[in-house]
Amino acid sequence: MSRAKKVFLLALVTLVAMIVIGQVGHHADPGGTKTGNVSDYLAATGQSKVTLSQQGINRLANETGHLRISINFTWLLITGFLVLFMQVGFALLVTGLTRAKNAGHMMMMNLSSFVIALLAYYAIGFAFQFGGVAPVANIGGAGPLSSLIGHGNAGLLGLHGFFLQTGNTYDVGVMAFFLFQVVFMETAGYIIIGAIAERVTFAGFIFAEIAMGAVIYPIYGMWVWGGGWLAHLGQSLDLGHGAVDFAGSGVVHATGGWAALALAIILGPRIGKYRKDGSVRAFPGHNLGYVVLGTLVLTFGWMGFNPGSTFGATDLRIAVVAVNTLLAASAGAVTAMAWTNAKWGKPDISMSCNGMLAGLVAITAPCAFVAPWASIVIGMIAGFLVCYSVGWFDNVFKVDDPCGAISVHGMCGLWGVLAVGLFADGTYGQLWNGVPGTVKGLFYGDGGQLVAQVISAVVGFIWAWGVTYLIFIVIRRWVKLRVDPDVEIAGLDEAEFGQFCYPDFVLRAETDLGVTHELDAPSGTTPTGDGTTVGAS
Amino acid sequence: MKLIIAVIKPFKIDEVTDALNEIGISGITISEVRGHGRQKGHTEVYRGAEYHIAYIPKLRLELVVDDADADRIVTAIMDNARTGTIGDGKFWILPIETLGRIRTGELGSDAL
Repeated sequence: MSRAKKVFLLALVTLVAMIVIGQVGHHADPGGTKTGNVSDYLAATGQSKVTLSQQGINRLANETGHLRISINFTWLLITGFLVLFMQVGFALLVTGLTRAKNAGHMMMMNLSSFVIALLAYYAIGFAFQFGGVAPVANIGGAGPLSSLIGHGNAGLLGLHGFFLQTGNTYDVGVMAFFLFQVVFMETAGYIIIGAIAERVTFAGFIFAEIAMGAVIYPIYGMWVWGGGWLAHLGQSLDLGHGAVDFAGSGVVHATGGWAALALAIILGPRIGKYRKDGSVRAFPGHNLGYVVLGTLVLTFGWMGFNPGSTFGATDLRIAVVAVNTLLAASAGAVTAMAWTNAKWGKPDISMSCNGMLAGLVAITAPCAFVAPWASIVIGMIAGFLVCYSVGWFDNVFKVDDPCGAISVHGMCGLWGVLAVGLFADGTYGQLWNGVPGTVKGLFYGDGGQLVAQVISAVVGFIWAWGVTYLIFIVIRRWVKLRVDPDVEIAGLDEAEFGQFCYPDFVLRAETDLGVTHELDAPSGTTPTGDGTTVGAS
Repeated sequence: MKLIIAVIKPFKIDEVTDALNEIGISGITISEVRGHGRQKGHTEVYRGAEYHIAYIPKLRLELVVDDADADRIVTAIMDNARTGTIGDGKFWILPIETLGRIRTGELGSDAL
């Protein structure tokens, strides 16, 4: 018998055997309708029957409450893991958008941004941000987080939870909340990589991550999310519901984007980015496949970022949030695709990805408060905004942002915060920030909400840009923030880490810019690639 | 004997190979190269900024052939590598001083 016939015979025997086996025994509960019933409740509570008494009812209510919080914990943790996965997407995105000679440096920054900012947030940041946030009803109150600086409606800084220890914060509710919040901080932390890529020193970058995890992100985050003064603008100044930012267009993305802007200004543009006449020279990213994969991974992670921000699956608005998020992402990508095609003759791959992320960033604040049609509008405007903004930062402000981080996260984050004040339709947000009624934007009759959003956005810009700028013009006195020109031209992988991301390939250094002869210029100056040098900024 | 060198568009290599095998060549060496002709590359847009692609990827073919076969082989390469648009490439022919087969030490036409 040939081998093929043997295989065929074996498959036939297996098929017959499977049919016979399928007839053996009873089917216990294949449909799943009988599993999980009163016997599980009795087993869990150690009773023999449900007693019809106050005590019996209390037991039942306790079990229900525990179950409610368990469901919410599961939701919060799983969505937190999804947000954690966004780190993968971002690593792919920014590495793909930069040159092969720096790929190891880019990946190492993504790894270290995670671990360093996480430890800074654990030690200090979390307490600053959420030390006074209690109660958080959906996860059982998070009671220990109950102390803050600032009086009444003017909270400034949380105080419980340093090292997840002070103020009795060794607590399951606090831990679940920490996990979800720390991955949000990581998002702001890795945004800055996109703008400082290909020229920042690893040492300077580590300082940026410590500052982000301990100070820059948590303090503004406290003002909006941790019971701070911006959240209470509704109660103190009667401005709608105060600053409303559902999942962090402002708190996470704009903060990361504006901090990135400050760092990009301090570092100055990459060598050769601007020609002598001021025109922009493109440095094509080395792997657009990474860029697309990264964007799709980020979109997947956003399914945790936004829907998870209810802190619980018992809030069924999560379905609206998830759908709105996908609508805005698609609208943003389509807009960028169409705009680049109309403007430059071909759809731009990386700008289409930026458009998708722009839609996601913009819908992050309003996703729970707006209708599906409004998500499309918000995503479309974000798609246009990111296309124009990349041009503005390149050509008008002359800020070199290799991955478009400032445009995607800063500008579209700002737009997202404002969009809440325009499109919130009053179907959600009862008692948000302690104000009775639902959240309504200008188009639904509450102009005060828009004012609160404007204040929140302006304060966010001043804080994130200003504090980052101040910290780093001081720090650069002692810490070298930018690599030497010869290192920048050869690629950062070897000089910073002694290793290459792609050791088996001959990589192109920027010898074609004609900058090598400028490297003999006096120290403190940077080659431009056009036979001129500029003072290091 | 002659050395034929041709630079062609990479996607034309299968057609050229088929035509050369039909004629019955004894061997060919190809390498991936980059270069430009009179157009000096072309310009594309990346995220709104123009950038210049100075060197276009091409394939470089090298064949050593008998003098009598050179014309037919060059014609086959031309006919099969041609698209009619710019950048179809070039060929040139050089005389060979010596040819040897490393394995046996044969010289001249015997080594073809």
